[in-house]
Amino acid sequence: MASGEFRLRVRYRKDGRLRWLSHLETCRALERAVRRSRLPYAVTRGFSPHMKLAFGPALPVGTAGSAELLDLLLVSYVPAAEAVVRLRAASAEGLAIEETRYVEAGLPSLAASLTIAVYDVRVEGVVADRMKQALDRVRRDGRLTIEHKGKHKVYDLARSLPKEPRVEGIEDGVAIEVAVRMGPEGSLRPEALVEAALASTDADGAVMSVSRTDLLEEAEGAWRRP
Amino acid sequence: MSDLWDRVEPLLREVERPARYIDGEWGAAHRPEPAYVAALVYPDTYEIGMANQGLAILYERLNALSGVAAERAYLPWKDMAAAMRRAGVPLFTLESCRPLTACDLVGITLPYELTYTNVLEALDLAGIPLRAAERTVADPIVVGGGPCVWDPEPMAPFFDAILIGEGEEAVAEIVDAHRAAKEAGASRAEVLEALAAVPGVYVPSLYASADDGSPLEARPPAPAVVVKRAVRDLDAMPVVTCPVVPFMDVVHDRLTVEVLRGCTRGCRFCQAGMVYRPVRERTPDAIVGAVTDGLACTGYEEVSLTSLSTTDHSRLEEVLRRLTRRLEGTATSISLPSLRVDAFSVRMARLVSAAKKSGLTFAPEAGTQRLRDVINKNVTEDDLLETVEAAFREGWRRVKLYFMIGLPTETDEDVRAIGALVGRVVETAREAAGTDRGAVKVAVSVSTFVPKAQTPFQWEAQITREEVARRQALLRGSVPRKGVDLSWHDAEQSYLEGVLARGGREVADAVEAAWRGGGAFSAWTEEFDFGVWERALAACGVDGTSIANRERIVGEPLPWAHLSAGVAEAYLHAERERAYAGETTSDCAAGPCTGCAVCGDLGVDVVTAGERRG
Repeated sequence: MASGEFRLRVRYRKDGRLRWLSHLETCRALERAVRRSRLPYAVTRGFSPHMKLAFGPALPVGTAGSAELLDLLLVSYVPAAEAVVRLRAASAEGLAIEETRYVEAGLPSLAASLTIAVYDVRVEGVVADRMKQALDRVRRDGRLTIEHKGKHKVYDLARSLPKEPRVEGIEDGVAIEVAVRMGPEGSLRPEALVEAALASTDADGAVMSVSRTDLLEEAEGAWRRP
Repeated sequence: MSDLWDRVEPLLREVERPARYIDGEWGAAHRPEPAYVAALVYPDTYEIGMANQGLAILYERLNALSGVAAERAYLPWKDMAAAMRRAGVPLFTLESCRPLTACDLVGITLPYELTYTNVLEALDLAGIPLRAAERTVADPIVVGGGPCVWDPEPMAPFFDAILIGEGEEAVAEIVDAHRAAKEAGASRAEVLEALAAVPGVYVPSLYASADDGSPLEARPPAPAVVVKRAVRDLDAMPVVTCPVVPFMDVVHDRLTVEVLRGCTRGCRFCQAGMVYRPVRERTPDAIVGAVTDGLACTGYEEVSLTSLSTTDHSRLEEVLRRLTRRLEGTATSISLPSLRVDAFSVRMARLVSAAKKSGLTFAPEAGTQRLRDVINKNVTEDDLLETVEAAFREGWRRVKLYFMIGLPTETDEDVRAIGALVGRVVETAREAAGTDRGAVKVAVSVSTFVPKAQTPFQWEAQITREEVARRQALLRGSVPRKGVDLSWHDAEQSYLEGVLARGGREVADAVEAAWRGGGAFSAWTEEFDFGVWERALAACGVDGTSIANRERIVGEPLPWAHLSAGVAEAYLHAERERAYAGETTSDCAAGPCTGCAVCGDLGVDVVTAGERRG
């Protein structure tokens, strides 16, 4: 980042129909929203200049997010309250801008600092106790093998699942809050965890929706928003 | 009205690229409770159809009408179509997710002959009877338009009406006529007659032939000849500056500003050049304003200045200088889709891509001067080599060249000459590239000439598939290998394009049979199955070779004789004679009138923003 640039951290939602967008589609849509907002975005030098924009971890297609993050570099200062209004007016419904604030230029990137993702998984056709038992059993195993697109991947749950999932009964099923630790080797998909748990105990139930509710960083044993 | 979203969404889990089906893009128009709904359908997938400028223009024009909503629909990919059929979900519009059967009008563009089966796939998925004759007053009217209307007969039975020519003015007249007829409680037949009264609208069911083989005759009040629509002043037709901005990676994903319409350079093989006459340029102020507004509204990072021949615009240099000044520092690029073979074009390309050298594209079309004169491609070998030299000296390392085989009067010598010319291009490019000569790449794309309706070559025989294979082999042997990437257009697809481009109404049965036989997505190379078409043609007793590969006798009734692009048939015929004599014809946008008759009869005229270079 060049000196004299301002690092604006933007929190946004991705929900409704737009949760069906891929990460790449989301990135492009937000970049175009920035252009429409007429904020003084910074561009890279070189043969093919592009906007200086960095995104948090990708959301899988179909998964909503209510606290997604991106960092945008600006060449001049625009009050954060004004920036949020301009971005909001330029964003498609379903990619709503929630909050903007300036962060220190020297902070590590979102991709490097965000290590915990919190999800809300809705499951239909199972009661809370049964779901809890199923999740406990998987956690006790300590390891979970997931097949995805023909490949098998083994997760060490002590690392990938740093906290006991919280299960709450709701109408027709349960809501599960799952915190997953992300890493360079890939992240456990929460619906894969829930489906594996249901399958391991022959419990009924179907995942109806998944949304990511928070992205956090770890510092001295505590989790916090970046 | 029923909103199908709750039934559509569960299907998205199982299909590729759900972004095709979700709507919600920036710029999508949602009109609450419209009195009249028009569905605009592109007969291919979302990522292909979103690039279509014609539909983007009609979408904006229709949504600007009071009480009217225009919504988009695309053909779902095979996985989604199967899922929809399993779930009993009909084809729907994106914006309100309503079934096409709940629309008043279904407009379908005909972009390319091999998409015809997709039109039937779309109608079937929608649950609309395929043939106009089977539809009742409860069905939407199905209206066609676009690049293939100059001989629409192979698709005629599937359409209630077809607009011939430019739609930006006619589309409102069609909707008005339809609404008025509906409000008056008109029968289906009365609706069709009302549509036939709109200038430029062809209602196929009002034209019939007395017996097999005789020309189609109009049943009054339908006009004997339907003459195309053309707008007089392009500047009076606002550029679409707030189009729908897709989420998905679509083809030509950029802002498009049409800088001029029509091209009168007079290439005799070129249907677009004949049917979209005369030349009408936008003024530099209108272009610069449209680019600025369009980028602000869409957030696009690229704008393309489109037309049939953008470097022909009389004030292009001024436009580009103004735009590059304005866009500096915004990481926004300008692209020019088509370049003339001259140094000026290279200079213009240099202006818009200070550093980005993606490659330049030129179309010499033929290998010898003799044949280039026959087709009236007023480009010399010196022009080409000078242009290539300029491009490689300026730093470009890649060019793409378009050629055709099978042009009228072509000999083996002409075919081999393509190879020799490519060799000289490579040599010139290497020399100009100097020490960087190893990086030189020349892509050569060779298509087969397909004679098209309403052109000077409309009477010509297309070369047979066997002859295509022979000439391709001849060419392959003569094109240098080093530094050259040679690619072909599929001979079987070209053949079918020829059958569908000049066939009569009898071909419609074969189109339907091909669709029933699994012939959807025939324009996709990996989906195309020639066997499906061969069986369909045979089953319907259609001899495709007598359509594609037979020379027409001048005076013999042509299947499109009741439709006119405004260019006099005598002019087309004279141009053909000049082709045989090797005589070229000049461009009326830069010189005197050449007598094609478009201007006099249609109330239009050549409009340029300045003096054109010859």
